[in-house]
Amino acid sequence: MSEMWINMGPQHPMTHGLWNLRVRIDGEMIRDVDPEIGYLHRGIEKISEDRHYNEVITLMDRCCYVAGFAWEHLYILAAEQALHVTPPERAEYLRTMSDELQRIASHLMWYAAFVQDLGLMSPFLYGMRDRDLVLDLLQDYTGARMTYEYMRVGGVRSDLPAGFTDRARKVLDWLSDRFHEYDQLCLGSAIFRKRCDGLGVLRANDAVAHGVTGPMLRSAGLKRDLRKDRPYAAYDRLEFDVALADGADVTARYLVRMEELRQSVRIVRQVLDWLDRHPGPSVADRLPRWLGAPYAPIGNEGYLLKRSYPKGIGFSSVEEPHGEAQAYVVNDGGEHPYRVKFRSPVFANISAARQYLVGYHVADIPPIMGSVDVCVGEVDR
Amino acid sequence: MATLTLYSVAYDIARGLLGVLGSVLPAGARAVVLSGDAVTGLAVLVFAAVLLAASMLNTILLIWWERKLLGRFMDRRGAMHVGYAGLLQNFADGLKLFRKHTFPPREADGLGFYFGPTAYMVTSLAIFGILPISSGWNSGALPLSLLLALTIFSFAPLFIFVSAWSSNNKYSLMGGLRSAAQMIAYEVPLLLAVVAVVVLAGSFDLTTIVYEQRNYWFWGPLFLALIVFVAAMLAEMERIPFDLPEAEAELVEGWNTEYGGMLFAFFMLADYLRALVGSILVVLLFLGGWTLPSWVPAGLSSFPLAGILWFMVKTYAVFGLFVWVRASLPRVRTDQLLRVGWNRMIPLALLSVFLAAAVVTVRCVPVLGCVPSMGA
Repeated sequence: MSEMWINMGPQHPMTHGLWNLRVRIDGEMIRDVDPEIGYLHRGIEKISEDRHYNEVITLMDRCCYVAGFAWEHLYILAAEQALHVTPPERAEYLRTMSDELQRIASHLMWYAAFVQDLGLMSPFLYGMRDRDLVLDLLQDYTGARMTYEYMRVGGVRSDLPAGFTDRARKVLDWLSDRFHEYDQLCLGSAIFRKRCDGLGVLRANDAVAHGVTGPMLRSAGLKRDLRKDRPYAAYDRLEFDVALADGADVTARYLVRMEELRQSVRIVRQVLDWLDRHPGPSVADRLPRWLGAPYAPIGNEGYLLKRSYPKGIGFSSVEEPHGEAQAYVVNDGGEHPYRVKFRSPVFANISAARQYLVGYHVADIPPIMGSVDVCVGEVDR
Repeated sequence: MATLTLYSVAYDIARGLLGVLGSVLPAGARAVVLSGDAVTGLAVLVFAAVLLAASMLNTILLIWWERKLLGRFMDRRGAMHVGYAGLLQNFADGLKLFRKHTFPPREADGLGFYFGPTAYMVTSLAIFGILPISSGWNSGALPLSLLLALTIFSFAPLFIFVSAWSSNNKYSLMGGLRSAAQMIAYEVPLLLAVVAVVVLAGSFDLTTIVYEQRNYWFWGPLFLALIVFVAAMLAEMERIPFDLPEAEAELVEGWNTEYGGMLFAFFMLADYLRALVGSILVVLLFLGGWTLPSWVPAGLSSFPLAGILWFMVKTYAVFGLFVWVRASLPRVRTDQLLRVGWNRMIPLALLSVFLAAAVVTVRCVPVLGCVPSMGA
């Protein structure tokens, strides 16, 4: 059969979001791929320049809809640096807990989508069912299941409701029992191993050359985790291991993410214990006045604009569930950020698609792209 | 009490209908209407209608059974709200599809686009005219009924390929190619596994094959053939783990991507008709058909229509096994599927044929003992 281009996307079950993977195929073999993005561009960086610092948080939740907390955290860290604000320690722990619960939810979502791509039907629902428990927890203290708007410059919006830590522990116990079942359904299946072993190989040097980060990089045996290498929030005070594998293939990425789930449960347990023992304020007491009331009183808009504040530049990097996200916030003294810029890990991860897709079969595209864990919201922003 | 058979039921219905018609007609017309030829002719039509209704009803029940089972495997409940325990959900779905407009793609080949699903559906339905359901409940003693059923069964890849190609869609085409390759590859081990049964039973007639299992069911001596048959049947039915012609992850919906409305319903129904045929064949060839083993109390198999009941129970249990497989296995890849088919299944099937031949030659089954009347 002669070669032909097929468009996998923007409306295609493989994509898990709005993007297009153009594939040149020869029969069932992949000869070339060309990822096309931009279908979900909302101009979040530009919109941020016209918003108050706390209003940008709303946009961050929509950056990656399955990992909203990680992006909130990313922006908040940069914004606090730019605005010279220090959060109280309790807020740091709350943010760490939110990050890790989000990582669990995101990885469970990835698990569900990934096994679905392989044709495994039941674990899809197991993953979604267990993710729902985590979302219930998030809803418990933020009021929302996806778009939380929980973190604030200088702290968090509100402290935990009564009894939350016990409910969270119950969910964590349930989850850590389930991970074993997931492994049984996947690693224990000969067909799963046949579909995943040695597929989508991306070696460490190629990964570094393409700026690939996160579980994809760690699955190639490179020990890099910002939570350890450049600790932020409370990570330097918590015990956990960096998940590593050395296969650099789809199975290795599965192993890394499964280990990260276990480590996240471990981290959240420690944070819950700390939170139980250390009550205190969850928001900084010294904040720029206009951060507390973001909307200018009608007729007094000029009053707010004229206020000058020490200038500053903030840069932060966060180990997001998909990889390393970076943010750059410039504060020029006004109440809006002068410039906000993000670096999306998934953008780099799917840019390297040619490296890990060419030479495999068409039927390998879903498991390989599934193991990349694409979230288009943050790619296009 | 006269035993109920498919023909006696059909004749009774036809005679009753014509009697009602004849009672309102003048005497001359009444004689024509009540003549033997007229009754036979109508009885054949009634027979076909009963078969059609029964197979369709069972197919829809089968979908319900799959949805409920899958739901339980997935820690949910399946269809719940339409009818008792969601029994009418599939009728509602069918009605919805019936109301939908079918529009072929502009560049599609009109003839093939409509011919494919229709022929697929018709051939799948035709198999039910051949399969015996219980003693007396078949369309007649066809000496080659098994061969005929499998012949019609193997038409499917042709129609799938016609509809895939005429859809003028790259995904459909790839799905059609995969489907053709897969079905042709698995036709061989399927038929070889059947050959093992035929060797042991000494007949191509399904009724005879069931009768020959009166001493022991064939799954014991032909366990290898059963495994090969079930695996090949899964591939023929295009169910997970062999559903790659319609692997939704990469091929959207494979060969039926462009189909909607009633034409899609045809594909869906025909798929489940074929699944029903597959389960029925497993029951007929390996699980003793409508009979029960001799150690079961006679009361369980002596009431009217007991054969049909046990046949249904076995069929749904076998299909439940297929559903279980679907709920717990991922999908294999085309090249892996074909390699397994040609390199593993065919040697295994050949081996099972040799085993069957050996059993017939020595007239003994290892555990079950020797039977003088075994084989042809």
